Amino acid sequence: MSLTRPARCLFCSFSRAASAAPRVPRRQFHATPLQLNNRKPKAPTPETKALDAKTSQVKSLEQIYRDMKPEDFKPYTEEEKAVLREHYSPEQIAAIEAGEAAIDPKDLASQFHFRRDPMHLKYLDDLSVIEPVVDHHVRAPESNSDYNATLKSEEDFLDDFAQYFEEMPEKPDAAHWVRFLETTRLTHGKEENELNAHSALVPDVFEHGESLDTIGQPPPPRVVVMNRMGELEDQQPEAISDMDVRLHKVTGYSKQYLMSLYSKNLVTKRVVNQTRMGKIASVFCLTIVGNRDGMLGLGTGKSEEVADAMVQARARAITNMQYVPRYEGRTIFGDVEGKVGATELKLYQRPPGFGLRCQHMIFEMCRAAGIQDIAARISRARNPMNTAKAAYAALMSQRNPEDIARARGKKIVDVRGVYYSGKFVRKPSRVSESKA
Amino acid sequence: MSLVNLAHVCSHLNNATKARLGMTSIVNSKLHLKLCLALQNDGLISSVVRGGPKAPPTHLLLGTPTPGEEVEPVTQSNIATRRLWLGLKYWQSEPVLGHLSLESKPTRRVTIDLPGLRRVIRGDRSGSVEGLRNPGECLYVSTDRGIMEARECVEKKLGGMVLCRIR
Repeated sequence: MSLTRPARCLFCSFSRAASAAPRVPRRQFHATPLQLNNRKPKAPTPETKALDAKTSQVKSLEQIYRDMKPEDFKPYTEEEKAVLREHYSPEQIAAIEAGEAAIDPKDLASQFHFRRDPMHLKYLDDLSVIEPVVDHHVRAPESNSDYNATLKSEEDFLDDFAQYFEEMPEKPDAAHWVRFLETTRLTHGKEENELNAHSALVPDVFEHGESLDTIGQPPPPRVVVMNRMGELEDQQPEAISDMDVRLHKVTGYSKQYLMSLYSKNLVTKRVVNQTRMGKIASVFCLTIVGNRDGMLGLGTGKSEEVADAMVQARARAITNMQYVPRYEGRTIFGDVEGKVGATELKLYQRPPGFGLRCQHMIFEMCRAAGIQDIAARISRARNPMNTAKAAYAALMSQRNPEDIARARGKKIVDVRGVYYSGKFVRKPSRVSESKA
Repeated sequence: MSLVNLAHVCSHLNNATKARLGMTSIVNSKLHLKLCLALQNDGLISSVVRGGPKAPPTHLLLGTPTPGEEVEPVTQSNIATRRLWLGLKYWQSEPVLGHLSLESKPTRRVTIDLPGLRRVIRGDRSGSVEGLRNPGECLYVSTDRGIMEARECVEKKLGGMVLCRIR
């Protein structure tokens, strides 16, 4: 993240960019999409080479976690101690040194792990530096403001134009005109007041087009295509259906999240309503939806058209999505039973690598929910609709061991997580639905 | 002693928790008392109080039976009317004490040895005894050192007669 980039305020977004670089449109002589940024990286200069070497030395989180050695935890050097002495009293220094001596670096290295509790930071930070976006908003300094600034009058603009024509080269190009438009001032007074004024309002955290995931990164390359009329325009992202727009409003799930969901139609059948007018046939659909990481929903739809019924069923499944508890993120807690009508089934937890050895519809549900090891047995009736519903009920009827322990007044410890400091156990990741 | 009374206790406790009763009573016997104390030790019931046909006073805040100030001494004349008063627990509107089922039957006692118990607590089947496969599932075994939970038996390296299972 660049620390120097200012977040612009609400009103500043109407003003022009602070940089004087002109935006010059160029004519397009072919129909291929126009890439406005350079595709080829520039030839490495000595400075960029040094920067690349620096960035390649930066380890990823995984690498830090894996390669932690006792040597990484070094004692304070004399210089660092001198700095500490400026901030702390001798007693505090003594306490710090006693604490340093008490902890073996070997223990630090072996027991090192990232926090997993709900309050942990969502980003890696040593908290010694002020991040302009996360910690507080960076505003333009107050000295930028000029309370005596006045708008230019028409005469002033005439003077500006006169100067422009005076300084115009012999063969003027469009860039010259654009540069004039972009750099001509509109007010008398301080220049900073016009370009980057101080404001008491809280600046925007995000630039246009930025989200929490892409904060600080350069914006994606602008892809321009030629439309039917021969004009250049921005390429529109993939269109999403009306139902997804409605679902986004109802559930709050982001559009990307809705697009990424795994859905499968399990049952399609023709059903008939007998009225005194005669038989009215329609199509029934049962669909399951999951994010492959613990969320699963089941929905049914009925309509005269198959496609309509399927859309209905998918939408209802998304609104019904619930969290499925998973042991180690791969199998279920205990053996669970489900019963709908005459269909009775039992799901069994299984060891790692067992796979999904179960009926095909239960297989699809497990796949959507992100369960990898399970066995199932269906007794009595095997009606497809009731099987899906019973399997859903069984998956949702799992009991959480932590709740059981709490009800009995016992303490519960994940032994596998404790013995190996959680290194060899895949922790079930609680699902964080990305809400838009 | 016959296990018929224990079977009655199991089904009575199932009915009582289904009806969401806060307190119930069972016939007093040494077997029942030891089993109830084992259940209380595992946090499945809140209190066990020996009393008569009349319910003992309840705790001011908890609502569970507590021993009164004057405990009637057990005599030959009143021993038949003695009962055990149990405080039942609920958590998030669900009974803490799950479904009780008799493992040994009055007509068929099931005993289990240490290797068998080890298999059972690992979730495997041993003879006619199904493994403990669900979270929070408990199996109570009557040993020569009292009634205890299957895992405790394995800790103490004991086998015995399997009484009942809670799931």
